[in-house]
Amino acid sequence: MNGKTSWDWETELKEVPFDEWKTRFNWVQAPQVSQNGENIAAVVNLDDMAFSVCVNGKIWEGEYEKIWSLTPVSDSGFAAFVARDEEWTLSVNGQEWTHWCDFIWQMMKSQDGRVLGAAFQSDSEYGVIVNDTPWEDRYENLTGAVMTANGTSAAVVQVASMPGADVEAFRKGVFSVACNGIPEDRRFLNIWDISFDSAGRQIGYGVRTDRETYGIVQNDTLWENRFESVWKPEFLDENSLLAPVRINGKWQLYKNDAPFWKRRYDQLWHLTLSPDGKDVAAIVSTPYGRWSVAVNDTVWDVTWDTMISDIHFSKDGSSLAAVYKHKDVWDLAVNQTSWEMAADMVFVPCMSPDGRVVAVVIQKQGQYQLVVNKKTVASGFSFMADPVISSDGSKVLLKGIENGIYKRRIIRV
Amino acid sequence: MQTKENAMTDTPSAVEKPTDPAIESGLERLTPERIRQVIQQVLKKETGPRFKAYVETCMRCGLCADACSYFLSNDRDPQFMPAAKVKNTVWQMLKKDGNVSRDFLRRAVRISHLECNACKRCAMYCPFGIDIAYMMLLVRRICHKLEITPQYIQDTVNSHSVTLNQMWVKDDEWIDTLQWQEEDARDEFEDLQIPLDKVGADIMYSVIAPEPKFQAGLIYQAATMMHAAGMDWTMPSSPGWDNSNMAMYTGDNEISGRIARKFFETAAKLRVKRIVMGECGHAFRSVYDMGNRWNSWVMPPFEVVHALAFYHELLTQGRITIKEKYKKKVTLHDPCNVSRGRGLHDKAREVVNLVCKDFVEMTPNREHNYCCGAGGGVINCGPPYKGERMVNNRVKAEQLAATGAEVLIAPCHNCHSGLEDIIQHYDLKMEIKFLGDLIYETMEKKIYEPEA
Repeated sequence: MNGKTSWDWETELKEVPFDEWKTRFNWVQAPQVSQNGENIAAVVNLDDMAFSVCVNGKIWEGEYEKIWSLTPVSDSGFAAFVARDEEWTLSVNGQEWTHWCDFIWQMMKSQDGRVLGAAFQSDSEYGVIVNDTPWEDRYENLTGAVMTANGTSAAVVQVASMPGADVEAFRKGVFSVACNGIPEDRRFLNIWDISFDSAGRQIGYGVRTDRETYGIVQNDTLWENRFESVWKPEFLDENSLLAPVRINGKWQLYKNDAPFWKRRYDQLWHLTLSPDGKDVAAIVSTPYGRWSVAVNDTVWDVTWDTMISDIHFSKDGSSLAAVYKHKDVWDLAVNQTSWEMAADMVFVPCMSPDGRVVAVVIQKQGQYQLVVNKKTVASGFSFMADPVISSDGSKVLLKGIENGIYKRRIIRV
Repeated sequence: MQTKENAMTDTPSAVEKPTDPAIESGLERLTPERIRQVIQQVLKKETGPRFKAYVETCMRCGLCADACSYFLSNDRDPQFMPAAKVKNTVWQMLKKDGNVSRDFLRRAVRISHLECNACKRCAMYCPFGIDIAYMMLLVRRICHKLEITPQYIQDTVNSHSVTLNQMWVKDDEWIDTLQWQEEDARDEFEDLQIPLDKVGADIMYSVIAPEPKFQAGLIYQAATMMHAAGMDWTMPSSPGWDNSNMAMYTGDNEISGRIARKFFETAAKLRVKRIVMGECGHAFRSVYDMGNRWNSWVMPPFEVVHALAFYHELLTQGRITIKEKYKKKVTLHDPCNVSRGRGLHDKAREVVNLVCKDFVEMTPNREHNYCCGAGGGVINCGPPYKGERMVNNRVKAEQLAATGAEVLIAPCHNCHSGLEDIIQHYDLKMEIKFLGDLIYETMEKKIYEPEA
C-alpha cells in the first residue's frame, strides 16, 4: 500500500517508549502498528483474567477476560476481539459493538476500512457479522469467509445436516455459498476460494462436483469443463474470470471456461493482476521442482529451488516483486533482478506507484532491517512492521522498535 | 467372542469381517466399463518406470514375508505375504487390463486398506528394494477414484477437504481450545501465552486434529515447554494448523496436495523460519515426502522438525532441564515414518535416556521395528475393523510383552492409539505415554536463561 498525502510525512522522527509498558503491566503481547505509523498498540495483562489494549501508553477503557486478533484498521486505529462473561464481540478503538456472541474470529475489512466484519458463532449456529449487524440466516458450519473491497461479505456455508461419518450425504453435496448471508441454490461437495470482481458484483469460486472432478463457478454458471483440480480464480474484469486448472497432471490458466495461457506448468498459483488489468502474473513451477514467475504466459529467466511465497505489482504495473527462498535463504527479486540479501526472512515489499522505489523489511540473525532499493537504510531493530512509501515515491515510512523504543521515522529516498 | 484370555491365540477366522456401507454402496454403483477405465487410467497414466520396474523385478523370493507383521501375526498365512498382496491386487489388474469384478475389488479394498500399513518394512528387506507400500497406495488410489474407500477414513478425508483438518474441528473450536489451554497452562507460568498469528516468529508449532478434539492437554504441555525454553513461537488461528493428511493414505492426491499447500503457505504467511510439529508419524511423512511433492516442492519449503528432534534440541541445548529422571521401566516404540522413514531413532534414544532412568529396548528395534498396526490409515478405517486389527497385531503384542516394561513410549499419534488398543486387548500390564508426557512430567518448570 501507499501512504496517504494527509499523513505526516514531514516530522522525521516520533518515538514511543514501548519497553516501559513491560514495567507497567504484568505482560505485553506482540505489538501492532497503525497504518500511518502514529500509534503502536499491544494487548496487555492487567490482572488475572483482566486484559486491555494499550495504545501509545494509554489503555482502552474496557477490561476483558480475553482479547485477541488485535489488528490495525483505518489510518490510525485498531480493532480486536474481546470477551467478557464468556461472550465475545469486536471492539474498535475501545468501542464495543452491541452484538455479543459465543465466539468471533477472522476479522475482515473493506478497502477503505469503513466496513469491518468477522465470522461468528452463537448457540452452535454460524454466520458473519458486518459493522455490528449479523447475517439473518445462520448455518451449521461456515468456512472461508471473505469481504470485498466495498464491504460485501460471503462465505462457504453448510446448508444441510450431515450425520457423523455419513459419506453418502457428503457426496450429494451439502455446501453452498452465502453472499451477504443469502445462500445460493447450488450445492457442492466442496467450495473453496471465493473471489469477487473489483466492484464486488461478480462472484467466482472453485468447487468439487464429485470425488475426482473439479470445476469453477462464475456467477450462476458452473463452467462446462471439468478438471483434476483448481486453484483460486480471479476476475480480470467484470466479464472475465481466470482460474488455474489441472489437466493431465499439468496446470494451465483458463479464462471464462477456455484456455487463456497456452503453456502448461507443473504448478501455477497465486494469480496476481496489475491494477490496470493489463498484466496477469502467477507463481509457476517449471520444470518440476523449480520456481519462477510467469507474466502473460512468459516465464522469467530465473528459477529458484525452494519456494516463491508471494508476488506484488506496483500500482502502474511496471514493477513486479517476488519474495522467494533459494538454497535455504530468503530474498527478493524485482523484475527478475535478485537483491541478493540472503536473509533469514523477507517480509511483504512495498512499492511506489511508479515502481521505482521498493522497500522491504528483512530479518537477519534475529534483527530487523529496512532495505530500500537494495540498500539497507536501517538495522538493529527488534521489530519492524511493513514499511509504507509516500504516494509521490519520495519518502519511506519506517515503523519499528529499536532499543525498546518505538520509532516512526521518515526516510527520504 | 474374543476374551483377554484367548487374545494371543486369536486367528483371522475368529474375527467377523464387517460389511462397510461405503464400500458396498460404491461397488453397487460401478459398471465394468467404469472399473476398467479407472484402473487403466491409474496404472497407465499415473505410473511410470518405477512401477514398471517393481512389477518386472519381483522374483517371488518371499523375503518380504517375514518382514510383514500381518504375515507373522496370522501364523504365516501366505495370503498376508506382501508379494501376495501385490499379486492379488495390482498384478491381477494389470494382467486383466482392468477387467476385474466387484468381488475382486471388495477384496482389493481390504488388502490395500486393512492388511497393509504402508510401513515399508518389506521394502527394506526386499533385495531389490521394491516398494510394496507404493503399490498398495496405487490400489488405494484406484479405490478412491471408484469411490469404494472404507467409510471412516473417507469421512476423515471429507473433513480434510472442508475444514483442512481431519476431525471436523470448526474454526472457532480450534481457537477456543488454544485459548482454553493457554489459560490452564498459566497455572505453570502466569505469563504464558500461546501466541496466535505472530508474524515473524521463529517457529510455527503445528499439531494434528485429535489434539484439539480430545487430547488438548498435549497442547498445554507443548506450550509449557515452548515457554520454559524461551522459544519465539506461534500457532496459526486459521486452517493450515493441522499437519495430518489422511488423503495421502486414501489415494486422494488432489486433496492431499491441497492440504500440504495450505500447511506450508500458512507458514509462509506467518513468515516463520521453521515448523515444529507434534508427535505424529504420518503427518511428518506427508510434509517431508508426499504432500509436498504433488505441489512441485521436491523438498519441504520450510524446515520441518519432528517433536522428537525438537525435544532433542531443547534438552541438549539446556533449554529444558530435567529435575528428576522418570523412574519406571520404559520401552520405546519406533514409529515407521520417523524411524524407518526419517532416521530419528538414535535421537529418540538420546532423549529417552536423558529423561528416563530405566530404558529397555524392544526387539527388533530402530528401523527394524514392527509397525504398530494402526498406521498407514488402518486405524482410521474405524471401529468396525478393530477386531481384525487386534488379530493382525499379535506379533506386536508379543514384542511389547517381552520387554517387561511398565511404560511404553509411542511418539506418534496413530501408533499411540493403535498400541493403546493392543495393550487393552492383550491385557498387557503397561501404561502408554507420549515422549512429551514424560518430558513435561520430569522437567524443571523454570524459564531458560541463556548464559551471559
